[in-house]
Amino acid sequence: MEMFTWLDKPMSGMTFLNMALGAVIVLGFILGVVTYTIYFERKVIGWMQWRIGPNRVGPLGLFQTIADVLKLLIKEDIVPAKADRTMFLIAPIIAFFPSFMVLAVIPFSATHIFTAASNVGVIYYIALSALTIIGVVLGGWASNNKYALIGGMRSAAQMISYEVPLAMSLLAVVLMSGSMNLVEIVEAQKNFPYVWYIVPQFFGFIIFIISATAELNRTPFDLPEAESELVAGYFTEYSGFRFAFYMLAEYVYVFAMSALATTMYFGGWEGPFLPGWLWFAIKVSAFIFFFFWVRATMPRIRTDQLLSFSWKVLIPLALLNLVATAVVMTLV
Amino acid sequence: MFSGFAITGQSVAFFLISLFVIACGVLLLSLRKVMYMAMAIGGVFIGVAAVFLMLEAEFLAFIQVLLYAGAITIMLLFAIMLTRHDEVEMPQKLTAHPVWAAIGAAGLGFIVLWAVKFSGVKWPTPSAESPWQGEDNVKLIGESLFNQYVIPFELVSVVLIVALVGAITLAKKEEE
Repeated sequence: MEMFTWLDKPMSGMTFLNMALGAVIVLGFILGVVTYTIYFERKVIGWMQWRIGPNRVGPLGLFQTIADVLKLLIKEDIVPAKADRTMFLIAPIIAFFPSFMVLAVIPFSATHIFTAASNVGVIYYIALSALTIIGVVLGGWASNNKYALIGGMRSAAQMISYEVPLAMSLLAVVLMSGSMNLVEIVEAQKNFPYVWYIVPQFFGFIIFIISATAELNRTPFDLPEAESELVAGYFTEYSGFRFAFYMLAEYVYVFAMSALATTMYFGGWEGPFLPGWLWFAIKVSAFIFFFFWVRATMPRIRTDQLLSFSWKVLIPLALLNLVATAVVMTLV
Repeated sequence: MFSGFAITGQSVAFFLISLFVIACGVLLLSLRKVMYMAMAIGGVFIGVAAVFLMLEAEFLAFIQVLLYAGAITIMLLFAIMLTRHDEVEMPQKLTAHPVWAAIGAAGLGFIVLWAVKFSGVKWPTPSAESPWQGEDNVKLIGESLFNQYVIPFELVSVVLIVALVGAITLAKKEEE
């Protein structure tokens, strides 16, 4: 375990090798998490809709997702004749790349394993997750299909708009902890008043969770891929493993966003009795469950309400929250 | 001429990143489809962010990724899509222009090389007793921005707001 903590080690050949090895392990881990997140989603939504969900492949349907992924991998990789070939092929890669990179700053456990304790962790997350939008827009454009193009445009407009309140609600937490380093933010939640930031920042957390749902393109904000009007949005034309790449990016972001929320508002790996990584897993699972729960509960929001809700409601509230936090921090 | 140049991990990384940035810049000029050009400029932005990262300016690097590679590239994509998104530049006629451009670029390169290496300018070197060695640069940027430079900073933000509102007003007027 010692070899995978690189917080205060010099950058030597051995450390570099360990880092590369660590990245491969995290990739394998995240693939496993995504596989069972999808299974979990189908089971939970099935349960909420009075259905059984997948139950054929393996005991309790546990191998269903593996079978699905295998099917996607051996499918033919179709490129439409009128599509822009080069862009069509690289767009899913551009979309997936940042989703995996953001995991670098997430503090998974108390021993700081697999963590880059960057002093700009919060900005790193927000900056890289913005790059995914390029992949989405590009995929929609390159498909040369009106549904894909509309889906891509909607996705870009939505993700850019909701990124602003997301970042501003996180800034209030940064203000309280005095650091943008995610490891230090977790440490700061152990200090005096001994509460997680969900308590003083409850208002900010509400803004955060709404914008996070919109960032993840999940119901009630799943307009970019609204099946009933856009077929599947920006990845309508994709098939095989390029389609799998888009889905993978989406589910990695579900995990990453839950991990970020856990770290910023719920004390990360912190908690009594149980070991740190278990606490982290419990909190992240609770967030993932929450996103599925919302998906099964809420209808889709209307397009014309979507952007004005962000710009006219969420952003002013986030600003207000930021100013109020600053004032309280100065007075106390 | 280049005595004292050592091959370290850092210099190798610097040359690889520079190669990437220059390649993206050349692609930006030579590609014919506007969408591809927008992607190439995105590559330039990311490469420059990597250079900042090598100079240990993490804050600047990720702000660069957020604003330039993220926001501005997407704005470019939007602008292209809302206009003629399948625009293709026509290949140009052969003229003497590239020759003059090459001479000019080489000349500029020599002037920069002379200024850096041979003109006798003293560049500051990092030393262990520098007062800010090893400090969190996010904190330092924040402190200097909101203590020493708070008035210019606020003035710049006012100017930016005025520009933004002005642009919207002008666009609205044209629409009518």
